This record gives sequence, C-alpha cells and structure tokens, in this order.
Amino acid sequence: MFKKSMWYSIITIALVCFIVLSIGFYQAIMVTSKVSAQPSAKAQVPQVSEDSAKPSSKNATSFKILIMGDSIAKGTGDEKSKGFSSYLSEYFKNNTSKEILVDNVGIDGLGSLGLQEQLDSRRLDKTILDSDMILVSIGGNDLRSILSLNNLTKEDEFKVRLDNYLNNLKQTIKDLRTANPNSIVIFLGLYNPYEKATSVEDTRLLNTWNYDTQQLVEEDGKWIFIPTYDLMKYNLGRYIAKDGLHPNSAGYQALSNRISKSVEAIISNLSTQ
Amino acid sequence: MPQTAVLELTNLKKTIKGKEIVKGVNLTLYPSQIFGFLGPNGAGKTTTIRMIVGLIKPTEGSVTICGYSVAHDFVKALSNVGCIIESPDMYKYLTGMENLLQFAAMNKTVSQQRIKDVVEMVGLQHRVNDKVSTYSLGMRQRLGIAQAILARPKLLILDEPTNGLDPAGMTEFRNLIRKLAYEDGMSVFVSSHLLLEIQQMCDMVSIIKQGRVIKTANVQDILHDDWIEWQLNDPEQAIAILRNHWNIEALQLKKNTIRACLSQHPLDKINDQFIREGLALTYCSAKQNTLEDLFLDLTEGDEIV
Amino acid sequence: MKLFSLIENEVIKMISKKRLMFVLAILVVLISVFAYGQKQTLERTKAQLSQRMGITATDDWRKLADQQLIDMKNRLESPYRDEKDKSSLLVRMEQLQYNLDHNLNPLEQSAAKFSTKFMEQAIFLFLPLLIIMLAADMVSGESSSGTIKLLLVRNVPRWKILLSKYLTLIILEVIVLFFAFVLSVIISGFFFGFGGWFAPIATGFKVLAGKLDTSSVFNVPQWQYSLMVYSLAYFVAVVVGSISFMISILVKSTAASIGIIMSTLVAGNFISFFLTDWKITRYMFMVNLRLTDYLSGSFQPIEGMTMLFSITVLLGWTIASVIISFVYFTKQDILV
Repeated sequence: MFKKSMWYSIITIALVCFIVLSIGFYQAIMVTSKVSAQPSAKAQVPQVSEDSAKPSSKNATSFKILIMGDSIAKGTGDEKSKGFSSYLSEYFKNNTSKEILVDNVGIDGLGSLGLQEQLDSRRLDKTILDSDMILVSIGGNDLRSILSLNNLTKEDEFKVRLDNYLNNLKQTIKDLRTANPNSIVIFLGLYNPYEKATSVEDTRLLNTWNYDTQQLVEEDGKWIFIPTYDLMKYNLGRYIAKDGLHPNSAGYQALSNRISKSVEAIISNLSTQ
Repeated sequence: MPQTAVLELTNLKKTIKGKEIVKGVNLTLYPSQIFGFLGPNGAGKTTTIRMIVGLIKPTEGSVTICGYSVAHDFVKALSNVGCIIESPDMYKYLTGMENLLQFAAMNKTVSQQRIKDVVEMVGLQHRVNDKVSTYSLGMRQRLGIAQAILARPKLLILDEPTNGLDPAGMTEFRNLIRKLAYEDGMSVFVSSHLLLEIQQMCDMVSIIKQGRVIKTANVQDILHDDWIEWQLNDPEQAIAILRNHWNIEALQLKKNTIRACLSQHPLDKINDQFIREGLALTYCSAKQNTLEDLFLDLTEGDEIV
Repeated sequence: MKLFSLIENEVIKMISKKRLMFVLAILVVLISVFAYGQKQTLERTKAQLSQRMGITATDDWRKLADQQLIDMKNRLESPYRDEKDKSSLLVRMEQLQYNLDHNLNPLEQSAAKFSTKFMEQAIFLFLPLLIIMLAADMVSGESSSGTIKLLLVRNVPRWKILLSKYLTLIILEVIVLFFAFVLSVIISGFFFGFGGWFAPIATGFKVLAGKLDTSSVFNVPQWQYSLMVYSLAYFVAVVVGSISFMISILVKSTAASIGIIMSTLVAGNFISFFLTDWKITRYMFMVNLRLTDYLSGSFQPIEGMTMLFSITVLLGWTIASVIISFVYFTKQDILV
C-alpha cells in the first residue's frame, strides 16, 4: 500500500535525521559557547612590554623612519610584501651612511579618526619621539565610500566628510608635532584607483580633497605633501595590484622613488649632522 | 436483576458556565437491552452521552461501564464502548476503509476479517474505497456505525443516529440495531428526540426533560399500562402516599392533577386511602396511553419534532 | 506499541490531507526563486567587479587571492597588529589557502553554500511559517471537523492521543528540514554545481562585554557548518511547532491559530528593531529565533544575549507550551 510505504520511509528518514541533527545541535552549542583559550588576553601582555622595552636611544648611528596610517602605509597590495618599509630604506641607503630602521604601524582600513585614536592612545609616543622621519598615508578610507553615492547626496556628504577629515588631520599634525618637534613628516596624497570608471565630478572631488589636504599639511614647515595622483593616473595597469585598489610592488617602488627624490637633500643633511 | 449492569449512571450532574444542564441523572442499562433516551432538543441528552464516553467531565456523580468507572478507569471502561456522538464526523480526506483502519489500529483486537465483516454488515462494501467526502449522509451514518461496532463493544451508544436517514434507511438501521442487540448481545443506548423511533426500536425508555429524568420504564409497559388521573385538592400529599404506601411514582401534571401507572395495584384501595387521609377527590379516570401522549404531557408541550 | 500505531495514524492523516505536500511544494517554489535570484546577483557582482577593476573575476581571482594572502601574512607578522584580529586573520588565510589549493573561486556559489545560506535566511520567518501550517492544524483541524470526538472515545487515554500528535509533529518537522535540505541542494546544484562541502567556514564567534569577539574564531568544513545550521533550524522548528501546537489547542480554530502565531512572529521582527533597549524583549521567543547568526557571527551583539541564553529562552517556551497543551487538553470538555 502506497501510504503505508510512505509512512515507513518517513519514520526511517525521521529517525536517522533526528540522530544526525541532535549531533549537529550539540556541536553548534559547543562551537558557540565553549570557553576560549583566551589568546587575546595572553597576547596583550607581550605587546605592551614590547613597546616599553624598545631601546629609546636616539643614537647617531641609526636613521629611524616611522610609517603610519592606512593600508597603503602598511604596504597592502605588494605581491612581494615589501611596501614602503623596504623600498624606502633601499632608496635612502644611497643618501645616508647610517643604519636605517623602519617601524610600520599602518593598519588596514584606518581612517583619519582611527589614526587620531591611535595617537591618543599614547602608545606610539616613544616611537614618534625616536623617529627622524615619519610617513603618513591617510584619507583614502575617509573618501572612498563617498564615490559610490549618487550625485544628489554626494556633494553634501563630501563636504561633511572633508570637514571631519581636516579636523582630525589638524589634530594629528598638532599631536605629532608635540610628540616630536623635529622630525620631517611626509604626507602622501590620494590617487584614483578607478580611473576608468570615474566621472569628471569625482575627479573634481578628489582634487578638492588633495588640495585642501595639501594646504593644511604644509602650514607646518616640516611637513611635505607628496602627490600620487599624477603618478598613478596613466599607470593604473602597471602600478595597481590585483585587488584594484592598492599599489602593487611596482607601484610602491615608484612612490618610494618619488618620496626619496623629494627628501634626498634633507636626509643627506640630517645624516651629516 | 441478576445480571451486572452494562452502564450505570449515578446522580450525574453537569454545570457549564454556571448553568446546570444535567441535574442528577440515574440510569441502569443491562446486557442486550436497547435503551431509548428520549427528550426534546436541549434537554441534556447529548451532554449526558458525552459524560458517559468521557468527553465531558461530570460536575458530580459517576459513570460506570461494565463495572469500570469512566473517571478512574477510562481505558478499561471505554474498551467496552462504541459510539457515534451527534453527526458521524469521519476523516473526509480518507477513504471509508482508511477511516476504519485508523480506528482498527487503535484497538489491537480488530482483525482484517472483522473489518471486512463489519463493512458488509453495514452494506458499504461497494463504496468503502471511495473518499468519505463523496459519501451521502446515509453512507456516512453507516460508516459511523461500522467504526462504532468494529471492536465488538458491549455497549453501543448512538446519539441521534437516524438524523438524515430516509425511511428505508431508518428501517434498515433499526433492523441492524436489533440484530446487534439480540444476536451479538450488545447493549444499545440510543438518544433521540423522535418518539416513533424510540417506540419502534427500544425495549426501555428514559424520558429526560430540562436535565432531569422524569420517567424510566419498559416501552411496552408505558404503552399498555393503565394510567389513572386524579384531580384532588392536595397533590403533594397524594404523591407522598402513593410513594410511601404503594411504591408508585406519580407525576403532577397540572395544578390539581396527578397521574400514575398502577400496574397491578388496586385502584379502589388507593382511593380509599386517599379519602382516609382526608384528601378531597374531585375526579378520577383511567387512561390508555401512547408514548406520545405521555411525552407531550410530561414535557408540557415543549416542541418536539 | 500502541503509541507507534497512533503516530502512524497521524502521519497517514497528514499525508492524505496533502498539507505536507503543500508545504513541500512551497519549498520547491521558494528555493527555485531564491536560487535564481542568487545566480543573478552573482553575475551582477562579477560584472561590477570587472567594470570597476578592469579584471574579470573569473580568471584573475587567483592572483587577487594570492596577494590578499600575502597581505594578511604581513599583517599577522606586524607587531602593531591588533591581537584580537589574530584568529580571524588566520581563519581568513586558511579559507583563501583552501580556495587556492582547490581552485575554487571564493565568489562562486555552490550547493553547499546555498543550502546553508537558504536555511540561515529561512530560520526566523519562512521556516516557522511552514511549521505553523503543519502544527496549527493538528489539533484544531480535528476540533473544527468534529473528528476529535472519534479519537477521544477510544480506549486510549487522552494524553496518549496528544502525545502521538506531538511526536508526529516532531517527526514532520524533521521531514520538512530534510526536504528543505535535499531540495535546496538539488535545485541549487543545477545552478551552481553540487560541490563545496569541504570548504572551510569560520565560526566560533562570541560576545564579550556586548561586543562581538572574534578572538576564538576557527574554521569548520562546510558540511559540518551546514549540519549545525540545519540542527539549529530544527530546534527552532520544534520550538515554533510546540508554541503553535499549544495555541491551536487553546484556540481550536486552525485559521485563528495560524493568524495569532504569524502576527506574533512578525511583531517579533518589529520588536527586535525598535525595542532593543527594553530588557524584557529578549525573553520573547520571536527575538531569539535567529540562532544561526551566533554561528556566523552576523548577529547584533546585545548585552546578555548568547547562544546559550537564546536556547534556554526557547527551551523554556517549548516546555511551557507542552505543559500547557497537555494540561489543558486532558482537562478540557469537548463540546464540539
């Protein structure tokens, strides 16, 4: 009988599945509720000690570079995983006899507010004080999400973002200067990774952003704004990584080259002091 | 009687939402009896039957089936019962046979052969594999009876069983019930508001009115007994005399009128006693009753259909 | 063994009533629509990617993944990295490595991914709806057709009748889950291929001090993740089933009980939107149905709400519903 056999298959499926599901349910509870080994608590300890244990000697034999800011500062996108940390020291080798030490505190996805928070935490104070040169790359993440908005809200939102960003940056400049009155600070401008899919309007916004940033940054005599826009514009294919956003190895090298050219004189100067 | 009662109701009462619907029913049903439960609509028949089968819990009193209390020994008590409560609602999306298989599965004593026999007994063998939703009312009624008698119960309870049956169907139905009672030894408890039905089918009848049983008697006795009607000045006292001295239950019909069934008791001696006790008799007559007269009198003209 | 026959009776009634078929038909339709939609979205995403980045996601994804892997490795080695990210980084790397090793584009869908995602989406409204359609009818259906009388005048105690109905519901819930899984695998398999069962999926998220904690995240194979999702869905089905079961016993009308429990569920969605500050809302069952979110870490961290909390709340509701059902059913007078 049809219904009878259906009943037998139903009860069999049900029993088997019930057992399987019970096991799954047990696992689900275990996975989400078991007490973790708390790696975070353990790991935090060495990090603090690491900071404080750092030698604070600002001796004459080393040239210290601090790289801070977003993923570009960190070197994301470089298939050789070198980024500014390696390339800058390579280029600077020619200009100074001192040993070049690089600290990279860049964080993926960092915005101007995040950078300010990083400074506010005071954990970097010592590192900043020790550095002879600081490279800052910030703002890309502040600006990026605006470009996908529609044109009506874009303009307003852009102004709000830009104001916030400039305020944060102003504070950052002040804090860096307080922490270390002497170092040179290199500030990287923004480029447009989406050159192919960008409207005139977007280009104008990016230019406004870079222009205002440059104005602010260079109010401080020891800051230098280095544009990247022009370098990348017709070289996206060569300099942009597969993720379509960050520079690739060649891109980082090109940028490092440009930076080193801009500050050559200062570095030689500093080294001979 | 020496036989043990199949069904015994003791002072059964039920109050629903503050309204007393059944006000103390006492009944006893013996094997192979067809027992009629007669009363107008709303008299409490269905409520009483629901209490018998445990669908409703009595407020007071008890139901005993074959010696087992429904309240305390539900499973054993109900093992002896087959029933149709009101309309024979079956699963419309199943076939007649599937319906019967459902109920057979609930009682291990039912064999495949028994199912076949019962289907033939109620005359459904040609349509038993059709969906119940295609059945006529009469066929559903037969299927209802089939499921009720499937497990060979000692007590068959039928609530308004002939509703919607045509005259031929009714006759057939009556014969089936009689066969079940006299050949298979089932006791049958039939509720109805139809006099004729009870009169034709039952051995015993209880008449219920406004939640109270007002008369229980052998149908033949009721029909053939001589009934005496008195008009006198103090009916309460007369009823008391009849009950205490002659063991006769009398009924007060109107203000000064009482009526009683005397059976073998001598009327002259009763009248003598009335007079001795100081009652003033104004009128006394003998009456040959039909059940309908009685019913109409007892229910004071409550509408019956 | 009588209980077994009673359950068989109930299941056969359910099959004959076509309600189970109806539920399965809804599943087929919905899964097909959902799978088709997923395919469209997938193609749109690919088109967008190739437009924005000048690459075609289909052939260049390996290079992208390679590079992401290197970036993450760097991040992991950076002394300034936030320690909390460590496990989520490791998990991401493991997933990418798997994709590379097995030549699996992470953008691509698979039957395994789809069937899991489908249940994650269905768990708080669609699955309960299907279960309600089954559960709400089990007792009230018999009440309104009057057949309940036939059941209760047998030599079977009432609690056994109800238990058989409840167990039948539990069985049918398994069947619904089983078919939801099988159908979504088969249907999405035609769209996306049948593979993907061993890809690693991150889980193990926790809430610490009201914030999502990713420090103990780890990968499990997709099949195990799917199993956990379907198990949680089954638990939700039992909970919703029990509550609708109770309501259908109390209300005695199928339509009314479906209405009541559906509006409660929908109201629950509103509540979790608007009344998150109100502490008592977290003890409502509707707010706790999204159990799979605890697995995927996609939940809104609310202080005090964890997997165990939600399961306890749901279990409380279930037990209360079952107790009320049984007490009420065995005591009630059948007047229909």
